[in-house]
Amino acid sequence: MNSSQFPIARKSGLVVQEMPDEVLVYDLDSDKAHCLNQTAANVWKACDGNTSIAELARTFGGGNEDLIWLAIDQLSENDLLEGKLSSSFKGQSRREVIKKIGLASMIAIPVIASLAAPQSALAAQSCRCQNNSQCSGPNINCPTTFCSCSGLCNAPGPVVCP
Amino acid sequence: MKSICFESYGVKVQLESSSQVILQTAFQTAQRALLGQTAEIDRCIPDGIFRFELDGDGDCTLIQNEEVMTTASPDRKFWRFFDGLVRILVADFTKPFVFIHAGAIGWRGKAFLFPANSFNGKTTLVYEMLKLGAVYYSDEYAVLDADGLVHPFARPLSVRTRIGEIREIDVDPNSLSAEIGKIPIPVGVVLFTKFEESAVWSPNYLSPGVGAVRLIEFAISVKRNTEFVLSVLNRAVSNAYILESPRSEAKDFAAFFLEFIDNSTFLTKMMLNK
Repeated sequence: MNSSQFPIARKSGLVVQEMPDEVLVYDLDSDKAHCLNQTAANVWKACDGNTSIAELARTFGGGNEDLIWLAIDQLSENDLLEGKLSSSFKGQSRREVIKKIGLASMIAIPVIASLAAPQSALAAQSCRCQNNSQCSGPNINCPTTFCSCSGLCNAPGPVVCP
Repeated sequence: MKSICFESYGVKVQLESSSQVILQTAFQTAQRALLGQTAEIDRCIPDGIFRFELDGDGDCTLIQNEEVMTTASPDRKFWRFFDGLVRILVADFTKPFVFIHAGAIGWRGKAFLFPANSFNGKTTLVYEMLKLGAVYYSDEYAVLDADGLVHPFARPLSVRTRIGEIREIDVDPNSLSAEIGKIPIPVGVVLFTKFEESAVWSPNYLSPGVGAVRLIEFAISVKRNTEFVLSVLNRAVSNAYILESPRSEAKDFAAFFLEFIDNSTFLTKMMLNK
């Protein structure tokens, strides 16, 4: 791993909400939501393109570059950094690295919890379906017994979707 | 073409039809759907338009913003479908509030939210808790204001029966002698749960941030009003306990969960201090 790399936090297309010990990030491009724990958030905010991995490790990782790379790895995977940074843990899996860091470090492992937001508000609609058989039973009160291409029990008759 | 325009939760909705009867039925349906929070206005630039076109066979085509939503006989199911669409439109476009797809009750002055999609037992769980003395806020939407407080959206509960044909029946909470929420209250507990056979209560406690991310899945207007939704969720969860666990049948679980809350030291502290 190249500890002289200078990661840059992505800024555009993101809505950020600071919480006491975490940061919420909503990606408007991918409609994904992320929760960064304190370690991940500190690293992300410090990725200004002028601070190297080694410096990040000194400031936030207790000198442990593996911990910073763990954060960078997750940030990159979730499109929260500009460009892609190469990271490999010298043949170790991420799980092995976490185990190693966990035993040695007093600093919390960086964690990013992510979720894809539903496609549309209609995901909350109770007449949703994937096929006609779902337009009976619990969906008995939907307009029709035929599933439309938009995934609602509202088609006037059987439909063939593209 | 006749039309009626109304405003609900800050959202302007226009109803159109050449049939006065259909138009009035649509407006009455919308009033019921939105619990009377529908102020008729003379002129509006609508956020959504519903048009109802009757054909010669007596069927009615419901068009929302130029998209055909259904063509069917304007019977009970048709209007129930429209009822759902108009509520989703308002939930999606409202700016002063965040509608979360969740059951909501009041207990010891705090709101308990049960976020879940349809057919996951929100109503059944709320129904059972009302029978045990919980205050009714909603079986469908937790309505949060800018401060993260939960407002009542106390429509009749749509309980699904499983005796013979599965049917949805409206249950008036008054018939359960349930108290209906009147004032906005802070969130005390968010429980992500669903029924599983042989479920064992095994709560996993989530951080506020993770809880907020999980709630985003159920926040109707997150794409349209992202920054506001995130700030409201932040405020809503900041003093709440957030748990997830599978649950048993609603009747047994409701009693168990309320007792669990009352007996939990830290949760009791939450009730007293927060």
